[in-house]
Amino acid sequence: MAKYGFLIDASRCIDCRACLVACSVENNVPMTHTRIWMKETGVTGEFPDLERYTAPYHCMHCVDPSCVSACTVGALQVNKDGIVTYDNDRCIGCRYCMYACPFEVPHFEWDKQLALINKCDLCVNRLEEGQAEPACAATCPTDAIQFGKREDMLALAHERIKNEPNRYIDHVFGEHENGGTSTFYISPVPFEKLGFPTTHREESPAEFNRMTTEEGTPIIAGSVLTGMTGIYLALEHLQKKNPVHTIEKDLETVDSKKEKE
Amino acid sequence: MTTTVSRREFLKLGGAVTAAFAIGQMLPPLVAEAARQSGYLNANGDGFIPSMCEMCVWRCGLIAKVKNGRVVKLDGNPEHPHSKGNLCPRGQSGLMNTYDPDRVLTPLIRVGKRGEGLFRKASWDEALDLVAKKMLEIKQKYGPEAMVFSSTHNISQPLFENLLYAFGSPNYGTQRSLCFNAMIVSNIMTYGMEEPERSYDKVKYIILTGRNLMEAISTSETHDLSFAIDRGVKVVYLDPRFTKTAAKATEWLPIKPGTDLAFHLALLHVIIQENLYDQDFVNQYTVGFDKLAAEVQKYPPEWAAPICGIPSETITRIAREFAAAGKYALAHNGWRTSNFVNSFATERAIAALNAIVGNWGTTMFPSSGEQSSALGVPPQPPFPRVSALRLDGVPWKYPFVPLKLGIFQELRDAIVKGDPYTPHGWFISRQNPILSLPDRNKTLEAFGKMDFIVTVDIFLNDTAWFSDVVLPEASYLERYDPLLPVGNKAFLRQPVIEPQGEAKSALWIYKNLGERLGLGDYFQYKDEEDYLKQQLAPLGVSLEEVKAKGYVQLPGEGTEGNIKYNWNTASTKIELYSESLAKAGFPGGTGWEEPPQPGPGQFYLLTGKVAQQTQFATQNNQLLHKYSDEPRLWMNAKVAAQQGIKDGDWVEVASEVGKVHIRLRATEAIRPDCVFLVPGYGHLSKGLTTAFGIGASDSVLHVSYTDPISGSQALTQTFVSVSKIADAPNEKEHKPLYLGE
Amino acid sequence: MSIKIKIREFKDLQSLPRYTYILAILTILGMSTGLYRLYAGLGATTNLSTVFPWGIWISFDLTMVAFSGAAFTLAALVYIFHMHDLHSAVRPTVLFGLLGYSSVLVILFFDLGRFDRFWHFLVYPNLTSALFEVSWCIAIYTTILIFEFSPVVFERFNNKKALAIIEKITIIFVIGGITLSSMHQSSLGALFVIMLPRVHPLWYSIITPEFFLVSSLAAGISTIIIGSYLSIWMYGRTLDQKVIEKLGILMPWILGFYLLMKIGDLIFSHKLGLLFTSGIFSILYVTELTIGVIVPLILFSMKSFRKDRNKSLIAALFVAAGIALNRFDISWFVLKPLHGITYFPSWIEISLLIGVFSGVLLVYTLVSYYFPVFTETIAIEKKQKEKTYPAKVAEAVTGD
Ligand SMILES: Nc1nc2c(c(=O)[nH]1)N[C@H]1C(S)=C(S)[C@@H](COP(=O)(O)OP(=O)(O)OC[C@H]3O[C@@H](n4cnc5c(=O)[nH]c(N)nc54)[C@H](O)[C@@H]3O)O[C@H]1N2
Ligand SMILES: Nc1nc2c(c(=O)[nH]1)N[C@H]1C(S)=C(S)[C@@H](COP(=O)(O)OP(=O)(O)OC[C@H]3O[C@@H](n4cnc5c(=O)[nH]c(N)nc54)[C@H](O)[C@@H]3O)O[C@H]1N2
Ligand code: SF4
Ligand code: SF4
Ligand code: SF4
Ligand code: SF4
Ligand code: SF4
Ligand SMILES: [Mo]
Repeated sequence: MAKYGFLIDASRCIDCRACLVACSVENNVPMTHTRIWMKETGVTGEFPDLERYTAPYHCMHCVDPSCVSACTVGALQVNKDGIVTYDNDRCIGCRYCMYACPFEVPHFEWDKQLALINKCDLCVNRLEEGQAEPACAATCPTDAIQFGKREDMLALAHERIKNEPNRYIDHVFGEHENGGTSTFYISPVPFEKLGFPTTHREESPAEFNRMTTEEGTPIIAGSVLTGMTGIYLALEHLQKKNPVHTIEKDLETVDSKKEKE
Repeated sequence: MTTTVSRREFLKLGGAVTAAFAIGQMLPPLVAEAARQSGYLNANGDGFIPSMCEMCVWRCGLIAKVKNGRVVKLDGNPEHPHSKGNLCPRGQSGLMNTYDPDRVLTPLIRVGKRGEGLFRKASWDEALDLVAKKMLEIKQKYGPEAMVFSSTHNISQPLFENLLYAFGSPNYGTQRSLCFNAMIVSNIMTYGMEEPERSYDKVKYIILTGRNLMEAISTSETHDLSFAIDRGVKVVYLDPRFTKTAAKATEWLPIKPGTDLAFHLALLHVIIQENLYDQDFVNQYTVGFDKLAAEVQKYPPEWAAPICGIPSETITRIAREFAAAGKYALAHNGWRTSNFVNSFATERAIAALNAIVGNWGTTMFPSSGEQSSALGVPPQPPFPRVSALRLDGVPWKYPFVPLKLGIFQELRDAIVKGDPYTPHGWFISRQNPILSLPDRNKTLEAFGKMDFIVTVDIFLNDTAWFSDVVLPEASYLERYDPLLPVGNKAFLRQPVIEPQGEAKSALWIYKNLGERLGLGDYFQYKDEEDYLKQQLAPLGVSLEEVKAKGYVQLPGEGTEGNIKYNWNTASTKIELYSESLAKAGFPGGTGWEEPPQPGPGQFYLLTGKVAQQTQFATQNNQLLHKYSDEPRLWMNAKVAAQQGIKDGDWVEVASEVGKVHIRLRATEAIRPDCVFLVPGYGHLSKGLTTAFGIGASDSVLHVSYTDPISGSQALTQTFVSVSKIADAPNEKEHKPLYLGE
Repeated sequence: MSIKIKIREFKDLQSLPRYTYILAILTILGMSTGLYRLYAGLGATTNLSTVFPWGIWISFDLTMVAFSGAAFTLAALVYIFHMHDLHSAVRPTVLFGLLGYSSVLVILFFDLGRFDRFWHFLVYPNLTSALFEVSWCIAIYTTILIFEFSPVVFERFNNKKALAIIEKITIIFVIGGITLSSMHQSSLGALFVIMLPRVHPLWYSIITPEFFLVSSLAAGISTIIIGSYLSIWMYGRTLDQKVIEKLGILMPWILGFYLLMKIGDLIFSHKLGLLFTSGIFSILYVTELTIGVIVPLILFSMKSFRKDRNKSLIAALFVAAGIALNRFDISWFVLKPLHGITYFPSWIEISLLIGVFSGVLLVYTLVSYYFPVFTETIAIEKKQKEKTYPAKVAEAVTGD
């Protein structure tokens, strides 16, 4: 099954924020919240040799998402198209996903009494309705956000860098980050300068997490269970042979003597 | 088509709005839903409906998604040449314009003092009767010219013009003198057309003179420019500010304000001196080349360099590069060109530059604007003759300014002075002159002189706030407007939901007011749909068909291939030298005109758009507010440091006509001799609950200067001083969300 | 045993101390701020933020769970390892464990954005989630603790039938409880395994679960020792010093193992260098290990320290402080504060904590006063302990 993907090109983005507004409308995001932000270098350099780059920033839709692995109640899931969905009917607002996500994507509704998470779900409803692109990609006046099949986007990213090596730094952000994502970025400046988090890992910590929760915990549980049972039975057996003298027993005898009096 | 909703029932709907917002819900409130359930709504039903954006004058094609009688999403219409499938942030936010809790949904009649904001709700009958009565009173007492009309470019404007010309007033104020008079008049004087079309398909080299296309967005053009840049097209951008366009341009030249003319004269100098121009084109299509050549001889790059602050080698290089691109070059003729009184001359130089490289037919094309002879018009009698002079001096003082452009700031000044006569009433439609005219205090003074002011708007914007009657227009998602030709198609604006409350379309309002004024003959249509049917009659296409498609194909126009030029000038050629101008005592060619400069301790005050707001109209839109920067005064970081002002400090900005308090943004992104303030903030109306209390208005500071040829207001020609102030006025908190936490 | 004796025994406790009223007031105040938090939302009442979504409440939870590890550690020693001489500590410790865990559940409830859906974790399991494991184990384990504590209640109301049944199946629950405890103690550590980008590398380790498990044993034992001391001036009763001494003997082994693991982790993950180059983090790391592990390891290795009630208290306090610091470190102090924003709890956060903690002490006091919790402990009249005790017991108390 082909997975969806984005290619976001910081050299094309003009910081108009149409994508941000489009997302809020499409997904009826509360006024005080957002699922998508601008990352920017700010104005760098000295007058008049100045530069400024921006790029929209939303869920990376990781291939092996940490958030999904962490979510207490399974409100976050990866669907068959590689979309990391969020079920707001399930979420309990524990905010573990916020710590789990290396990209700082899930945001919490701090101002609400019954508060939930906000996270890009790749406009999954819109796509299911048959519209070709998520709202942000559809409206971008400069095509800074492109949407398509994951492999195609990745190939396009490399092609663009290959064709114009002077325009881009040689790094497709998202290709390896957190074990690979479905949102790819290319940029004329290093991603730290754009304010992106630096996660230069080949694998997602979700993998380590599974090692501990799916393997570590059962191993601990199993060994404790058998160990404890074994020791108990063994000692029980021994004690029946030669009972030990304990303070407790002494006290008990004192007590019972008193009682009798 | 419209069912009247009784007042009690309307209040019920109004209640739904408040409730929806009280619980902190975003949008859309359930007004339309409530209305539908009460049986009032039968719009087009749910689904995807093509229409047209009007968050700004570009008017992109849109597709509205309607669900349960509510607009839930707008997307760009791929079939529309202005949207190409995209919408800009303002277009995306359009439904919040419609569902703004501050919408005026019933006619209002002032009960308190002007500017106090006390109104009572009224029925349309009562409100229109009152307006008609007042207008007729004024006409009777002082003549029709005592009624001033003003409106900013919109699709129903022909009907507005019907109203004012039929009423018999010559006094017509439009936004254009504040916007692009310099560009339009120079194009008329040079090419005989208002604004040629630009094409980026084959362009290879672009000079943008303050045309901040990445922020002052026209979706398709912004799109085209950005694709051109992506192709590697070279873009030279002149602006004293490092804007978002500057960030994308290949070369940003922080030119000294008001000296673009010097730069362009030097370009002309090099290209002509070095014989780099397109001789064939010049010979075939232009007049006055020799005079131009003789004139620019005086302006070598070495002369221009110290004036505009750009090295002469750079100017020479750009001239050669531009000429080398030849017909693939494009010197953008700008849009809001109301910078200096020499802006008209600058525009003439730009027009000449395009002409001599022969880019017509490649990057520049003739355009007939938004008119088409193929569409029908309802019959109407001729307008009455007007004998009174126009207050704005057109054409008796300003012979070259077209009547339908006018000079708004001069009109306002004439009102204040009562010279040549005193007007008594003002009819304003979709315009916010209190903020858009320079020198707000003077505009308020002009308002004070009026016996009667009526405004057609959708909010209590500042101008409505100071009016006596407010007539609520249906928003652009709720109404029909006349068909609008673009290229070889005419596009339809149609209601995607029924109007909320008692809001009505402009077509309805003008007709019903017209009838009360005894001018019914000028509005010979039953309703909006009838108007459209009359427009469509010659084409033999049904309205239903157009409604489904969103546009109708026009016959004959826009055929590709050989372009027949029809230079509508006196000489029927491109006039590099204008005899008409010369005869009227103005320079016929383009020579240097020294702009005024700030005194010691003063700065040029720059104004300019941001991508997330339109003019003075959208600051109350919650969705745009959500993603907008806090409006601050930009000042060069080094200069600020020298003055002991830090980023975020409160400062007082003062010009000779006013002062404002605002927070400072210390940035490298501006020339040391300039400061910049985004327009559209500092609203006076408390009827704008989101926008009120945010930022300051640059219109308070702007001094009125009019270019004698084009009538253009010179907005950068205001010089201000900036000083740190101790205590911060308590401005409403403005926390943009776009940067995250 | 007759009901009469029981009642007499409760009277052995000092009269209900005056501080219970203060505790009651603090609890009410704290819980009121808690209710306000539910009403006003997390943003308005806490200093939590996008950058710091978890705060002092979670750090408290981690610490509390570690200390409540006393219950399972002791259960293992007594019932599995047959150290029946430690039995006298079981009831007070189980009660503390029960209240400790309950307080954690209460705090977690207040910490949820959708507290109304607190039960979701029971019906929507995500088996890879450490937080799911933690909440699930804690919930079941708390139930088991209730069961383990139930004899006290049945005894109080003299329900012999129930007592007999419980006695028979106790061992099953004990083993189940120990297993669950090991699971959640380690899962608490597993919480941080996915937080790779957040946790300072000195602390980040894939064997954090094991660190948590082993350190919770030490924390549990130190809790019993500290608790035995506290109960002297709270209730006038305490454990036999022999019990404490025996527990003390275990400490060097546990702490030593923990230390080895920690050092091994530094070496195998090539993080030894970081120990000297991480500024404040190095200091925190070394402090945590020094006061929580190295110093008490040495102290508990000394017989004089194990035998002396006061000295073993000091050693136990070291362990407690070090492990508390460890829990606060990993869940607060050494989390990468993104964009430079640091966190400090709001007064409401602190007030709720104080309230819940006071509640724990209050309930503990009340339960011990009205239920036979301290049956097997020895009475110490604060002023005249030497006089009142039978020679044999006095010996035990002074550790001679
Ligand atoms: N300081 C400063 N001044 C400037 C400029 C600048 O950049 N800085 N720019 C200049 C330029 S380029 C221009 S074009 C002018 C624009 O000047 P104006 O045309 O005066 O300003 P707008 O903000 O476009 O006014 C539009 C009004 O229409 C209302 N409106 C919105 N939708 C509807 C509708 O559907 N129906 C009706 N009836 N009303 C509606 C809005 O609420 C608003 O009050 O300003 C000029 N003045
Ligand atoms: N987002 C958005 N887009 C819009 C609009 C809007 O309100 N918002 N309005 C629409 C309308 S009506 C118009 S007219 C166009 C206007 O489009 P533009 O003409 O591109 O717009 P402005 O932003 O008014 O001004 C552009 C720049 O002129 C610079 N400037 C000031 N003085 C000088 C000078 O002397 N020389 C040079 N070279 N530059 C100078 C300012 O720094 C500013 O950056 O935008 C249209 N598009
Ligand atoms: S819509 Fe496109 S150009 Fe505009 S901010 Fe978003 S990505 Fe950038
Ligand atoms: S970016 Fe974060 S929220 Fe999105 S899928 Fe990856 S881990 Fe989950
Ligand atoms: S906050 Fe919601 S989505 Fe995030 S981990 Fe908790 S339950 Fe899952
Ligand atoms: S894909 Fe959809 S949900 Fe995600 S950022 Fe874009 S518009 Fe928002
Ligand atoms: S440019 Fe933007 S605001 Fe203007 S019509 Fe197009 S989408 Fe609407
Ligand atoms: Mo304009």
